[in-house]
Amino acid sequence: MVGQFATAAEAVGATVKRFTTLSEAITSLRELVSGRSVAASSLPDSVHSLIAPLHFASRNMLDQAEVGISFAQAGIAATGSVLLELSAPTERSATALPPVHVVLLRASTIVPNLAALRDTLQAALSANGGRYLSLITGPSRTADIERVLTIGVHGPKELYLLIIEGE
Amino acid sequence: MARDVINQKINDAFLRKALKNFAAAYPVARAKAFEGIDFEELRGRIAAFKKEGLGQLPELVEEFRASAEQAGATVHLCTTPEDANRTILDIIRSKGADFLVKSKAMTSEEIELNHYLEKHDIRCLETDLGEWIIQLAGERPSHMVMPAIHKNREDVAELFSRETGKECPPDIPYLVQVARETLRSGFLTGQVGLSGANVAIADSGAIGIITNEGNGRLVTTLPQTHIALIGVEKIVPSLAEALDVIEILPKNATGQKITSYVSFIKGPTGGEGRELHIVLLDNGRLKLAADPDFSEALACVKCGACANVCPIYEIVGGHVFGHIYVGGIGLVLTPFFHGFDKAEEILKLCIGCRKCNEVCAAKIDIEGLIVDLRDKIKKPVGQKFLFGTLMKNRKLFHTALRAAYIAQKPFQGKGGRIRHLPLILNRETANRSLPPIAEKPFRDLILEQSESRVPSPQPREKVLFYSGCLADFVYPEMCQDTVESMEALGYEVSFPQKQTCCGIPARYSGEMEVARDMARINMEVLLEEEADFVVTICPTCTMSIKHDFPKLLAGEPAWREKAELLASKTFNFSELAARKAGTGDIRMGSGNGEMQTVTYHDACHLKRGCGVHEEPRKVLRELVGVEIAEMTDCDKCCGFGGSYAIKYPEISQEVLKNKMENIAATGAKTVAVDCPGCKLQVEEGLEAGGTGITVEHSASLLARRLKKG
Ligand code: SF4
Ligand code: SF4
Repeated sequence: MVGQFATAAEAVGATVKRFTTLSEAITSLRELVSGRSVAASSLPDSVHSLIAPLHFASRNMLDQAEVGISFAQAGIAATGSVLLELSAPTERSATALPPVHVVLLRASTIVPNLAALRDTLQAALSANGGRYLSLITGPSRTADIERVLTIGVHGPKELYLLIIEGE
Repeated sequence: MARDVINQKINDAFLRKALKNFAAAYPVARAKAFEGIDFEELRGRIAAFKKEGLGQLPELVEEFRASAEQAGATVHLCTTPEDANRTILDIIRSKGADFLVKSKAMTSEEIELNHYLEKHDIRCLETDLGEWIIQLAGERPSHMVMPAIHKNREDVAELFSRETGKECPPDIPYLVQVARETLRSGFLTGQVGLSGANVAIADSGAIGIITNEGNGRLVTTLPQTHIALIGVEKIVPSLAEALDVIEILPKNATGQKITSYVSFIKGPTGGEGRELHIVLLDNGRLKLAADPDFSEALACVKCGACANVCPIYEIVGGHVFGHIYVGGIGLVLTPFFHGFDKAEEILKLCIGCRKCNEVCAAKIDIEGLIVDLRDKIKKPVGQKFLFGTLMKNRKLFHTALRAAYIAQKPFQGKGGRIRHLPLILNRETANRSLPPIAEKPFRDLILEQSESRVPSPQPREKVLFYSGCLADFVYPEMCQDTVESMEALGYEVSFPQKQTCCGIPARYSGEMEVARDMARINMEVLLEEEADFVVTICPTCTMSIKHDFPKLLAGEPAWREKAELLASKTFNFSELAARKAGTGDIRMGSGNGEMQTVTYHDACHLKRGCGVHEEPRKVLRELVGVEIAEMTDCDKCCGFGGSYAIKYPEISQEVLKNKMENIAATGAKTVAVDCPGCKLQVEEGLEAGGTGITVEHSASLLARRLKKG
C-alpha cells in the first residue's frame, strides 16, 4: 500500500521519500529545511523535541515562514492524500501559507481509500466543540487559465511526504 | 436566444478551441479517474440518498441547524436572495468590517452578492483564480467548475496589468504568480471570509469544502469571521453520504481523483473572537424539493459534467447555454432559482441528445426535466394550431405532407434535393440542402403491393412495422428495405395504415396534451392487431413508445397498462435483426467476395434513449458482412434533433462539422446509421462537403446484401 500511496502522490506532483526510522526522516527534514524559517502544526512530542533546534517563525509572522511542517494522522493509498487535524488557525496557516510543506507520515496509518477513513473522520467530527480537518493531496494547483495545470497558486508550491515505514 | 449572441459565440475562435480541446480531453481524464471505481453503483447510491434526503429536507435542515449550533456556529436560514444578502451584510457590518475576502461559491453568484455588497460600500475580493479573472472582467462564470474557461492568457494578462498597474506578459506561470502575490495581502487583511460548501452534514453540523488552489483554506482561516453560504440541498444525513459526494465530484468535474484540498469544518475553531456563520439559502429549494415532478433537479452536486459533455455547450459556451448555473442542469435550475422568464429561451437550446444523463453524478434525468419544463413556458404563436389541430388529425397532417410534395417541386435542385424551402422556412434553412418529400410515401407504396404479397406457409413471428413520419414521407425506400430484410430474416411484417406521428415533436415543444393524444391514438392502432413485436426504424419513435407513452399516461391506469404492454414488445430494427444472427434462419451468401468497411454513427436516442449499441454492430458484422472502422465520438450527436436543425441551424451545423471530421478520419466510404434523422443530417453534411461518402440505414444495407445473395 505504501507503494501505491507513493505512486498516487507523485502523480499529482508531491515528492515522496521513504525511511525506516523516525530519526532518518528527521535528518532528511533538516536537510530540506536547510536553515530556512519554519512553522509547524501540532506534532507528537517525540518529533517536536527532535526539530526544536530549527528556526521557527514567530506566531504572528507566520506568513514569513518558508517551510511548514506537519505530522499526518493518516494517509490514503488510492489518492496519495494525507489527513491533518488543524483545529487551531495557526496550525492551518503553517500548512497553507509557506511555499514549502513537509508532512511526516507513518506507513502504518495508510488506508486503501477515502471510504476507509470514515471512522477516523467520524471520531474527530463527533468530538465536542470545533474541528477543522484537511485532506491534502499534492501541492496547490490551478488550471483556471486556459486549463493549463500550474502548481502553487495560493497554497504550497512544493509538498514533501516523508514516510516512516518502521517503528 | 438572440441569434447575434449565438453567432458571436460560434465565431469566437478562442472559445471554440478551448471548449473543443476540453471536450476531447475530458472523457479521457474522467475515465482514468474512475479506474477501479464502479461509477454506476456510486451514482446509484448518491441518487438514492439524495432522493430520500430531499423527501425530508425540512427535517434535515433542522437537524443540521441544531448540530451546527451545538458546535458553536450561528445558522441563518434565508428564504430569498434579498434575505441572504442582507444577513451577510449585517454580519459584516457587525464586525465593523468593509472588506470581504471570498473563495468560490456558486450560491454567491446566484444571489449576486458582490453586486449587493458593493452597493453598500463593502469591497469584495474573489480569490479563486478563475473567479478573480471574472470579477476583474465584470462577467459571470461560463462554467460551474472552470469559471474563466472562455478567457485566454492575453485577456488575463490585460486584466492583471490593469489591476496591478504593472505590465504583465501573457505567460501562464507568471500570471498565476501575480495572482498569488496580489491576493495574498487580501487574505492577510480580510476581516471576514466567505466560502460556499460542497456538502453539509446533518448529524455532526460539519461542512465539507473541496478546492485545488488552497484559497478556500485561507479564507476560512485568516479572517476572524467565516461565513459559509450554502444551498439547503447540500445537506446530507451523515459523513458516509458526504464521502460519496467527495468521491465522485472531482472525478466527474475535471477528471481528478481528488482535489488538492478537502476540508471538514465543524463550528468555529481558534477560540475567543472566532465566529462561524452558516447562511443556508432556500431561494425556492424547499418548495422545489416538495415538487413531485422536478425535485430530482436538487440532487445535483454541481460537478459540471453535464456541461462538459454537452455538444451544444461545446459550441456556444456557458454564457449562452445557461443563466447563472450553466450546462444541462443550469437549464433546469434557472426557472426555479431565477424565474421562468429567464429560462424560456435557454430551455429551447437543448438538442435532446441525453449525453448529460449518461454522466450525471446524481443520475438525474436532466434531458427529461428539460423537456418537461418546456410545457411550462410560453409557447410560440401558431404552435397550438400546428400541433393541436394539424398533427392530431392524421388525415389532415398527411394531406399537408402530400401537399408539401407539390409545393416543394419548384425548389428542387440537382439530385432532387431542396435548396430553398418556400415561405417562412426560407431564412432559417438558407444554405441547407434537404431531401425532398417523396412523391409516394411508404404508406401508399405498401398498399399498392399488398395484393401481390404472398403470406408465408409456415407460422412466423409477426411484426407490426411502425415507420415514423420521416421515413414514411422522405425515405420510403428505407421502409421498403426494412420490410424486405425483416421478411428475409423470417418475420411476417404488416404495416398498420392508421399509425401516425409518435408525438415527439409536440412533446419537445412543450405540448404535453397533444403528445398524450398522439400516444393514445398510436396505442390503439398498434395493439389492435395481434403481433409478437412492433418494429421501428427511428429510435426517437422507439424511445417515445417505450418510455414516453407510459410516462405521459402514468396517471391513467387503464392507459398505462396498455402503454406498458406496447412498450414491452416494441424494438428497434437492429434489435430484432440481431436476434436472427447466427440462428440459421438466414443463410448469408458470399456477396461479391470483398469485405467492405463502414463506420457507424450511434444515434443519441438509440444509444442513450434505448440503451442499444451492440446490436447494430452485430447486424453489420454478422448479417451485412462488413467491417466497422469506429470513429472518434461515435455516439456524439450529429446536430439534427428534429426541428432543432431548423430552429438553430447555426448551432446544428457546427455540431455537424465535428461529426464530419470524425467520419472523414476513418477513411470509410459508407456511414451506417439506424435513424432516418441522422441520415438526413449526416448526408447533408457529406454532400455539402463533396466527400462522396454515403449514409445508409442498416436496414438498407442488409436488404441490399440479401438481394445480392
Ligand atoms: S440532452 Fe444533450 S443537448 Fe441537452 S443538455 Fe443534455 S447534453 Fe446538452
Ligand atoms: S446535473 Fe448531474 S452532471 Fe450536472 S452538475 Fe449536477 S450532478 Fe453534475
